[in-house]
Amino acid sequence: MPPQVNQALPSGFQLDQYRIERQLSLGGFSIVYLAYDAEGTPVAIKEYLPNSLALRGEGEVEPKISAENEPAFRYGMKCFFEEGRALAKLMHPNVVRVLNFFRANNTVYMVMQFERGRTLHEYVNKHRDVLRERFLRGVFTRMLNGLREVHAHKLLHLDIKPSNIYLRLDGTPVLLDFGAARQTLMTGQPMLKPMYTPGFASPEQFAGREHLGPWSDIYSVGASMYACLAGSAPPRSDERTTKDTYTPAAKAFAGRHSEQLLDIIDWCLHLDPLARPQSVYALQKALVQRGPDEAMPASWFSDVGSRLKTFIGRS
Amino acid sequence: MKFTIYQESRIGKRASNQDRIAYCYSRDALLMVVADGMGGHLHGEVAAQIAVQFITQAFQREAQPLVGDPVLFLSHVMTNAHHAILDYAFDKYLPEAPRTTVVACLIQNGQAYWAHAGDSRLYLLRKGEVEMQTRDHSRVQLMLDQGLIDAEGAAVHPGRNRIYSCLGGNHSPQVEFSRPTPLFSGDILALCTDGVWGPVGTEPLKARLLDGRPLMKSIPKLLDEAEERGGAHADNLSMIGLLWLQDFAETLPDTVSTQTMAISSFTTQMESFERTAGSGAQDLTDDEIEQAISEINVAIKKFTSD
Repeated sequence: MPPQVNQALPSGFQLDQYRIERQLSLGGFSIVYLAYDAEGTPVAIKEYLPNSLALRGEGEVEPKISAENEPAFRYGMKCFFEEGRALAKLMHPNVVRVLNFFRANNTVYMVMQFERGRTLHEYVNKHRDVLRERFLRGVFTRMLNGLREVHAHKLLHLDIKPSNIYLRLDGTPVLLDFGAARQTLMTGQPMLKPMYTPGFASPEQFAGREHLGPWSDIYSVGASMYACLAGSAPPRSDERTTKDTYTPAAKAFAGRHSEQLLDIIDWCLHLDPLARPQSVYALQKALVQRGPDEAMPASWFSDVGSRLKTFIGRS
Repeated sequence: MKFTIYQESRIGKRASNQDRIAYCYSRDALLMVVADGMGGHLHGEVAAQIAVQFITQAFQREAQPLVGDPVLFLSHVMTNAHHAILDYAFDKYLPEAPRTTVVACLIQNGQAYWAHAGDSRLYLLRKGEVEMQTRDHSRVQLMLDQGLIDAEGAAVHPGRNRIYSCLGGNHSPQVEFSRPTPLFSGDILALCTDGVWGPVGTEPLKARLLDGRPLMKSIPKLLDEAEERGGAHADNLSMIGLLWLQDFAETLPDTVSTQTMAISSFTTQMESFERTAGSGAQDLTDDEIEQAISEINVAIKKFTSD
């Protein structure tokens, strides 16, 4: 448990050009708010506020940062900037968009597009009994288009889990929360340990961070698919490395889903990074190749249009 | 840019270390400098220090984030560093200007450019071979070129330390420039002082750097070897090694990726300054925060205005 909890900014608070509506989520590193801009468009604002380093008490606006924590607070801010830089460069329909970045109240804020819908986590919790395999393949294949874009920019997400995959009202997935996508934090600053979610994080995130790569995100994708079927995450990978209590999906869900899908999940969840799919593309290919009898819609897989758009936007 | 880099400087068996080395990189450009202050002259370490400091500072001023004209930049910094040493000697009423060798290498847009004066060397190792190396500005090298002596003779020649070009001193330096050289993934650039290449020799040096281990391991090993062979009077020995990687290569441990660096930020490693630089170097200043924010917003605007 963190020793302290930060107070969120109150509803109605005018933050720069935005009016805070309510708090959406609270993490160890930041608070996310729903807010409205001057035109009344809803946005999600992420406030950099690491629990362990800065404290905002009841009714206060500016967080208190002790002198000894100041360097670490500033260092963490660097990481927050890196997340911003990374996201600013990514323009993809399956990756959350950054709209603005500003400084206020002694800290910094990242404004993102607000998407209506709910997280895959919420969706699955409600509909697990009627979850269709086709739905799962569709969501993950399209979400992986976004992840491919992330990897193409030489970044890793490192915190993929059902609650970071957002389903818009039209069912298209968006990859959220790149808080962990900071490559440079790997070099080990003791004050700010890299964050991950047990159960979804790959074994190399716990130990041996030099082996991190696309296959680490792929482990988390496999764990997320597993969680969609099982209702809970697979056993923590760090515990699996000492004593593996993981029941292969091919065994646990035999007969309830196609063998091929279950095999894909087990393939992603190999403890040995080399035994997993080595690229998102390889995984996508497997996800759409169910069998010769059922063809998946080609639109899931192709994102030529968006790539072209990114390309044009760049020139 | 993606690369791994390692530098180390050792005193050998001398009373003081007159070698100075530094590397420095922005998001899109990288500079490495090795200077060997000349013993036998006064204040060799001062000359080396001035040269390295001057050249890295010039780089930080001009690489925003690229240097305009790399060859012109190298030419300017070498000449200006020479004059900075002369100015120092003048200010301090030194009877003669201190001297130093310099080899400096600039990398940007995937091309390497280097310049040198004296007998500190740069090696470019590619596919297991020495693809290129600088030619020492030494008498021995001249004699070697003219066929008066062979490599074996050069290695033991009594005048092998005499060089005819350096920064500082009474004569203008003769600086030699490389052609723009494209780098390929797996290329190793090694800059070193004669304290390293002298005792070890080119072939073993190559073999050691290409032994497949990371530079963080192979360079210390190489320096051990040089120090051992240097014997009771081992010279100061210094080396910077860089392994160039493809931009899309997966990040290995210790790999530097400048991808998410702010445009105007620099990372500098200068051994001799470590004590003075202090740990506060990690801090973000208010200016840097403003800079980062405006930069992110520029990137956002660039991608949304389509």
